[in-house]
This record gives sequence, C-alpha cells and structure tokens, in this order.
Amino acid sequence: MNLSSLCDKLAAILRRDLLTAIRYRTGFMLAATGALAELAAFYYLSRAIGPGFRPEGMGYFPFLLVGTGFYTFLVMGVHSFLAAVQEAQQNGTLEVLMTTSTPPPVLVFLSAISAFAGNTVNLVFYLVVGLLVFDAPLRPNLAGCIVIFALSMAIAIAIGIFAAAVQLATQKGSAVVWALGSGAWFLTGTMFPVAALPKTLRYLSGLIPITHSLDGMRLALLQDVPFPVLAHEILILALFSIVLLPSSLAIFSYTLRRARLQGTLSFY
Amino acid sequence: MHSVVLESVTKRFRHRPALFNWMGRERTGETCALENLSLSVPAGKVLVLLGPNGSGKTTTLKLISTMLLPDAGRVLVEGANTLKETDSVRRHVGFAVSTERSFFPRLSARENLEFFATLDDVSRSHRAQKVDEVLALTGLTESADTLVMKFSSGMYQRLGMARALIKKPSVILLDEPTRSLDPGSAVHFWELVRGLSTQGSTVILATHNFNEGVAVGDLVAVLYRGVLTGLRQLASTGVDELRSFYFRSTGELQEVPEMAVRSVS
Repeated sequence: MNLSSLCDKLAAILRRDLLTAIRYRTGFMLAATGALAELAAFYYLSRAIGPGFRPEGMGYFPFLLVGTGFYTFLVMGVHSFLAAVQEAQQNGTLEVLMTTSTPPPVLVFLSAISAFAGNTVNLVFYLVVGLLVFDAPLRPNLAGCIVIFALSMAIAIAIGIFAAAVQLATQKGSAVVWALGSGAWFLTGTMFPVAALPKTLRYLSGLIPITHSLDGMRLALLQDVPFPVLAHEILILALFSIVLLPSSLAIFSYTLRRARLQGTLSFY
Repeated sequence: MHSVVLESVTKRFRHRPALFNWMGRERTGETCALENLSLSVPAGKVLVLLGPNGSGKTTTLKLISTMLLPDAGRVLVEGANTLKETDSVRRHVGFAVSTERSFFPRLSARENLEFFATLDDVSRSHRAQKVDEVLALTGLTESADTLVMKFSSGMYQRLGMARALIKKPSVILLDEPTRSLDPGSAVHFWELVRGLSTQGSTVILATHNFNEGVAVGDLVAVLYRGVLTGLRQLASTGVDELRSFYFRSTGELQEVPEMAVRSVS
C-alpha cells in the first residue's frame, strides 16, 4: 500500500469520525462544558491549597493542568483503539470492515490516528483555556514537547492496540483501560508528585510509561529545560515504544486470526 | 476455470460456557457448521445455496469472504487461499451483508459508500462516479443523502448490495438478498444479478426462496446440517421441480406435519 492510498484512507476515516461527531450535536457542547468545569475545579483547588505548595518546583495549577490534560489525552488515546473495535462490533461493521481490501492492522491504526486527532483538539482546547482564562504560566521547550508528545503517543498507540486485542480475545478490553484509568492513575503523578508515594509504589510508578510522559511533558512545557535534562525521560519512553509497538501488533494479529477461526469476531 | 473452490472444508464452533455455568444452562460442546464440504463454482455462474436455518449457508459465505477461517480443508477464491492470501481474496470478493447493523448510522448512504469505496481501493477519480452508478443500480439515488439510520429494512438490503458491487468484485456473495424487498424490487434485483453474471461475475446466493433460485441460478447446492446433500444444474428447472429436489435432498418432508405437506405439494 503506497503513501497516497494510506493518506486517502486516513482522510476517509477522519471525515467519517468528524461527520459522526458533529451529528451528535449535544456531544460537543457537553465535552467543552465538562472541560471548563474541570479546569475551574483545579484552579480553585490550587488556590485553596495555597501558593506554598510547589510540586517539583512549579505552581500547583500548571502542575495539575499538564498532568490531567496530558494523562487524559493518553488514556483517551488508548481508549480510542478499544472504542474503534467495540463500536464496530456493536454496530456490526467490524466483520465488513475486515473484508475490505485494507488490512485490519492498518485499519485499526488509521482509526486510532483519527481518534488521536480528536483528542489532540481536546488537549489544545484544555491547555489554551487553562493558559488564557486561568492564567497558567507556560515556558515551553517546543522541540522537547514535540519529542515527548510523539513518543508518548507511540506508547499509547501500542497499549491501545493491546487493548483492542484483549477486546477481540475476551470481549473485555475495557480491563486494560480500567487498569490505566483507575488502577494506575494515582501512581503516575497526575495530581500529586510521585515523590509523595512510599518507596515500593515509587518503584512501581517508574514501570508505568505514562509517569515518564507526564514528567517529561511538565519539564518541557512548564520549565523550558534543555535536551540533556530531558534525555533520561526521552530514553525511557523510546525504549518502551521499541518494545511495546511490535509486540502489541503481533498480539493483535494473533487474536484477530484466532477470532476468525473461532467465529467470535463480532461477539461483544 | 472455477472462481470459488471449497475442498473438504470443515467448520466447527465451540461453545465455551461461562465460569459459573451452574447458575445458568449455557450450552457446552460444539456445533459442526460444515462437514467436509467440497464445492466448485465456475466463473460467471450463479450458484444458489439452499438449506434450512442452521444448515451452513451463511458460514459458507463467511468462509469465502475471509470473515471466518476453516478448521480443516481449504477455500480458494480466484486461485488464492483464504488462509494464506487473505488480501488477494478480499480484492476479489464483495459480500452483501445487508443487516442494519453493518453501516455507520449517522452517515448518509452516499457517505457510507464513499467510505467503503476508499477502503476498497476504488480510485479517487472514479469514486464519485462509481457511487452514483451503484446507487442507481440499486434504486437508491433519491435516498443517497439520507442518513442510513432513517432507512427501512429493504433500503438497507439495497445498500448492502450497492456496497458489495462498488469495487467491481469478480465474486459476489449474497445472503438472503431479497428477504425484505417488495415483490417488484425483488424481480428488479433478480435481473440485476443475472446481468452481473452475464458480465462475468460469479455469484453465490443463499436463499430460502425457490422462485428466486429458479430466476437467477445456474446451479443449486442444498446443504443440510452442514453437509452437501444435493447439487445440480438449474437450466430450465421449474419452481416445483426445485422444491421437490430440495425436499428430497434434505429429507425434511418426512418431518413436516401433514397439513404443511399438502400446502407445499
């Protein structure tokens, strides 16, 4: 498959998702209102705690803004893979999609890129509102932000493909999203610094790639640190990407073939 | 030259009960959907698959389309093995899945078709024209810009057919394609299927309708409990003759009550 065909397919998927989203008219308004309410809650929470609390040397509101914004972006990204498979199972399009000329892994990948595009819009909205309305100070190292963002996205894609594979195999891919969203979020330093955790949990926290994504993004976006300071987080994220991406693709291909053999492709 | 070949194909579905099966009565064991099925369909011919519910008709179509993979034996489409050359098979096969649950409900018929055409590698320059063509062929031009969630069952069936045709496949699979169509539309549809065959496409059509079988078929295969029990040419065969062949092949007549026997004969 050449690049032009790939871009054409991506455009078709983006158009499908955009059209579907805007035709759920109230969905847009609810999402925007929800984000504003969340930002207001964080703003007043940080004011209530007071300016004396400066986790990792930065104000608490920007700490929360980047932590929750980027964490939500990554978890929603993972969820989007699962949702792509789940929705296709529920609306009956999965079997048909899997018989088009587009190979299934490419299809899942493109669907998720489309979902990531939507999540990126949400993230930018969240950060811009936080910056303009609630006056969060940003001091970005733009190149560092882009590298951390790209590596984090690669990891979220890998975990998302794994969640899609779990959905095909067990019809319960939501377990992966639950593990990230509810089971592990307090370990990742989203709302308070990891340093506040006991030693054992700090060790576990280091094994979760999102912890390094948040650390790296805060350093790059709020403190304008140079690349040598970011190198540690970049290296860890790169290692996670190299291991997770090919292994999740292999697992997805295996579970897809197994579902075709067992006749469970459309089960949900 | 045969477009589709099934060689000793067996397909079983295992019933894996829930962990706490004592709380319910979920079925265990396995269902044999197809047993050692061998069948060849010559290029440009229409094969009609007949058989009672659960006889393996849809499973056969799904195996040809690569939605399912066989447990034993092999399926070849235009010489490509569905187990090993899936991408090649998918380029050749169009499957008219016509249930309401196979389209994007908040896209219009045209938008759905454009989307699937893109995934099926229909070139950008020809896409709009191809979409218009298949909409016209299936009588959906007037409803082209209606969201498909507002469609009736019959319109979904037409749209399913339109989607299957858009990539101009050499093998077309139709699963009970006229189930929800009015009699006039069904006759129009039969003409369409004959036209596709005349143009060289191979069609495999699963149905319960003997009139449909006689109207479009070149060959008929009867499946009963996953086994091929009858296969014959359909040239100049009448509806009564086909019905009689079907009941002889399935042996079902002995199982139906006397009143029903009177009505079919």
